[in-house]
This record gives sequence, structure tokens and C-alpha cells, in this order.
Amino acid sequence: MNFGKTAIIAALVLFLFYAVLILSLLTFLEGPRFLAILLAPDTLFSIRLSLVTATAAMLLAVAIGLPAAYALSRFQFPGKKVVDTFLELPMIMSPVALGAALLVFFNTPVGNVIQERGILFVFEFPGIVLAQFATIAGLATRLMKTALDEISPRYEAVARSLGANAWEAFRKITLPLSFRGILSAMILCWAKAVGEFGATVMLAGTMAFKTETMPIAIFMSLASADIPKTIILILILAGIGLTALYAVRLVEKRAQVL
Amino acid sequence: MIEVRGLNLSLGNFRIENLNLTVKEGTFNVLLGPTGAGKTLILESIVGLRKIPGGQILIGEEEVQHLPPEKRGISYVPQDLALFPHLTVEKNLAFGLRASPKNFLRDGSHLARLVETLKVEHLLQRYPHGLSGGEKQRVALGRALAPSPRLLLLDEPLAALDPALKNEIQQLLISLHRSLGFTALHVTHDLDEAYLLGGRINVLIGGRLEQSGQREEVFLHPRTLDVARFLGLRNLFPGRVLKTEGTEGSMTIGLWGRKIVIPPGHTARSVSTGEEVILYLRPEEVMILRPGKPVKESLRGNIFGGEIKRILDRGTHRWVLFRPSGLDVHLEVNLPNYVFRNLGLQEGQEIQVAMRRESFWVIPTK
Repeated sequence: MNFGKTAIIAALVLFLFYAVLILSLLTFLEGPRFLAILLAPDTLFSIRLSLVTATAAMLLAVAIGLPAAYALSRFQFPGKKVVDTFLELPMIMSPVALGAALLVFFNTPVGNVIQERGILFVFEFPGIVLAQFATIAGLATRLMKTALDEISPRYEAVARSLGANAWEAFRKITLPLSFRGILSAMILCWAKAVGEFGATVMLAGTMAFKTETMPIAIFMSLASADIPKTIILILILAGIGLTALYAVRLVEKRAQVL
Repeated sequence: MIEVRGLNLSLGNFRIENLNLTVKEGTFNVLLGPTGAGKTLILESIVGLRKIPGGQILIGEEEVQHLPPEKRGISYVPQDLALFPHLTVEKNLAFGLRASPKNFLRDGSHLARLVETLKVEHLLQRYPHGLSGGEKQRVALGRALAPSPRLLLLDEPLAALDPALKNEIQQLLISLHRSLGFTALHVTHDLDEAYLLGGRINVLIGGRLEQSGQREEVFLHPRTLDVARFLGLRNLFPGRVLKTEGTEGSMTIGLWGRKIVIPPGHTARSVSTGEEVILYLRPEEVMILRPGKPVKESLRGNIFGGEIKRILDRGTHRWVLFRPSGLDVHLEVNLPNYVFRNLGLQEGQEIQVAMRRESFWVIPTK
């Protein structure tokens, strides 16, 4: 057997591994109860909460991450390497640890002031968004930086020489040229936020009809031995995730045609 | 007039110190230099892409070194052209006009005439990726010229073209310049291109502007040995000044054990007795003497006998390598093909060559 075939078999084994995991869920699925559980108020609430918080976290990550990515891609500034390294922290740090750090932060004097005078984060809706933001902001910035790196700074240089100011050059040239890359970064980070569990559970807790996102609902239903509900929630989460990943591939594929 | 005054900047170990460069309005200028001479750094400073720690950049009377690029009115065409891939040719062309292209393509408008001159009417709705190399060059030039810039900067845009297309675009640049009369600074390392395009040539070597002048002046009368070497000039021989007739008078230079008297004015600057200099003699200016033919009085002191070591057919002319008897030097001679045939020269043949005093150029070494 040659090397190429072995490599392909390895890829197929990996696919089967994940496919079997998903299929095994179906063996426990009880058909008639499927719709009942899916349409139950607590399930719908979890789905809606997850979609809303993930979208908010993703938009926040783009709002701060896009300018940050632009700075990292185009400029040299003191401490750039340190900033760049910190962006990778959420990727290697356990989300539970990240959530615990957030919780500790809100018990410091500064955190207390924010809680009392500003927004209540701990065990609240904003806490979910913040926890999700914390886990995806670094990744979002990194992915958008890669998208911006692919656009030659010379386009902007020429645009500037033709009378466009820095913002116009970015908006009219760099942004449309890197749009597909930024869009796929947005989709990926949104999907990651939808599936976020560790940081959310630490900061926002597991309150039904308040902070129970889909991953938390999975955890809770499994803890109370409600297997059918657990499975349905997992399938929905997997469905959303796979759809998002497929959308990323569609976006990138069209980018190559251009 | 565009002026760079006392420009100072450094990048790593590379430094540009106190550089002065002048570009007259309406003229075509070349910034010529080898790779790594700092041409792009200077260009980026003028466009405003690079902050300069010291010096002034003036357009007319206005100091622009503090202005962002968009306020300078300087168009820039980089080597890769950087046509905006997501915009049509029409939108690329109109980008610098700050309004919708429709308003600018009216009959008789500047852009309409430009589009006609550049022959890009049929490309207006196309995107850059489908254009040929020559079409891309035309669009890039049109986009840069559309806002009627105070200065057009060209950063080796022709460097990657094949010879036929390069020639076509060079001709286009010349005719565009004649019809529109814009002010241009064209950066290149290509000697032929510099000679063809440049009214005024500025030679930059190692971050220093070694010489500025009309192209004939630069190519025939290099001021320094570095310029002469970069221009690929042949027949550069070390000699010593034996005598001078005042600072403006004729010079007697010792070369190969002879005394050669060179008329006044044939030097980049006045030289003094005892100074080491380089004598430059253009290969076209060396005369091969017909045996038995009388020789002019003025040539008699400058005749050398020797052997033809090598002959090469260069197509447009013959290249002859001549070694004077008893000397370990070689003199290169370019002969028109008909002269070569009339003389019937062969390798190994003993001949006599003469060098006119007026053909020498003295380059000081310090």
C-alpha cells in the first residue's frame, strides 16, 4: 500500500470517527418525542438565547477585533509581539479557566464598580456575551488579520495617492477585497460562540430561562439523566455548527473563483 | 517645480543623508540607480507613505512633507500597478476624481480624452484580472493621470514586461508626456529605459545622488567612478595629473607612460597636479589607423601599436579588444560594421590605434 492511499485512509478514519459519534446519538432517539422536546419552551429559549448571545459576542469581537487586526497587519508598534501572543491565549487556555478568571475579576474592586455602577455581568445575560466574547475575540482578530495580510498594502498606498484618506482607502479598497476572509472569520467565531460552554457556565451560571444556552442545557439535561433531550440538543448544536462550517467553505470557494 | 531638500532617512543600516533632488515642472525625469540604492525609499517619502525624520519636500512654494498622501496631489504607479481588482476599469480610472465616473466621461472632459489617448474605451466595463499586460499598464497610467496630478511617480512599472511590450509602453509614455505635458519622476534601474525616457537623469548610488543632468551629459560625462561603473562604461583607465594650465586650462595626464594633453573642460571638476584620476574613453571614439595613411598632427602623441586579441560581432557593430604592446591593459573599440569590413581586421593582427584628445573625459577619484 502506498503512502498516498494510507493518508487518504487516515482522513476517512477521522471522518468515520465523528460520523459514528453523531449516528450513535440517533439510536437513542425516540421519534414521537422529538418534536415535543424540540418545541418545548425551555428548548426554544435555549436555542434563541444561544443565537442571540453568539451574534452579539461575534459583532462585539468584530467591532474591536477588526481595527486591532488592521493594526497588527499594517503597523509596527511597541509591544506588537506581546499583543499577538496574548491573542492566542484563549485558544490554548481552558474556557473554564477563562470564565473563572472573569468571575474573579468581577470580585475585585474594579470589577465591583463595573457591576454596581455599570452593567451586571455575573449570572446575567451580558455575562454570557462577555464569556463568549472572551473565548472568540483572539481567534476573530487572528483570522481577520490573516484576511487583511493577503491584501497588498500597495492598493491602499495607491488609493491614498489618488486622494482617499486612510479610512476611505480602507473602506473602499481593503475592506471589500478582504470581505470574504472577514466573513468566514465571522461565521467561524459565531459558531464557536454558539458552542461555548466552559467560560459561560463559570460567569453566567446555569439558570433556566435566564442563562441556559444550548451547551448549558445539554449539560443540565444530561445531569438530570434526560437522554432524549440531551441528544436532540446535541443534534441541533451539531447541525448549526456543520451548517456554519459549510457556509465558510462556500464563502472561501467563491473567493478563489474571483 | 518639485524639490526634495536635505532629505534624511534611514532604514536598518541603510542611510540617506542630505539628499537634494529637483524636478522641473512639465519635464520627464528619471531616478536611475542599482537595486538597493534607495530609489523606492525616496519615492515613498515623496508620495507620503514614509515619514521623513529630516528634510523638506516642496511642490512649488508649498511644503508638503507634513501632509498625508491624499493632500499632496502626487499620483503613484507601483511596479505591480495595484489596479483595484474589485472595480471595473471605468471605476479604476475615476477613482481619483472623487465622484461618479459617468460625470467625468462626458465628451471633451479630461478623462474622456485620456481614455481616447490610451485606447481603453472598449475596456471600461471589464475587470482588471481579464486584461492583458499592456492593457493593465494603460489603465494604471490613466488612473494616475486622471486627477491631473502635480507629479506622476512611476516606480519601475515596466520592469516585469517582455521587451516588445516594454518598448510599446515606453513609446506610449513619451507620447503621453508630449501631449499632456505632466511632470514625471520615473524610477528605474534599466539604463536603456533611462536613456530613452529621461530628459533629466538623476543617478542614485548607495543612497547618494551622484549626478543629475541631461541624459547625454550623464552618459558621456560621468562625474564619479561609481556612476561610470554603474552605467557600464568601458575603457576606464587610472592616470595621474602631471600638469595643469590653471584651474580652467588644459591638463596633462600620464597614461601608460605617455603624456596626454587633454583640452580644457573635459573634466567633471578642476583637478590639481599629482592627483590620481580616471580617464574615460568611449569605445566608439577609438580610431583604428589605416597603414600608410598620413596621421593628423593632433593625433601623433596618442598613437599606440598593439594586437587585436578578440573580435565579437554584436549585431549593430563589431567589438574589438585591443592590447597595446608591452602593456597589461585592454582597450575596447566599437567599430561600425562597414568600417570593420573595409579594414578587414582579424584576431591576432598588429594594428595602430589613435585616441583624439577631445575624446577623453577625466573623472576625479576623490
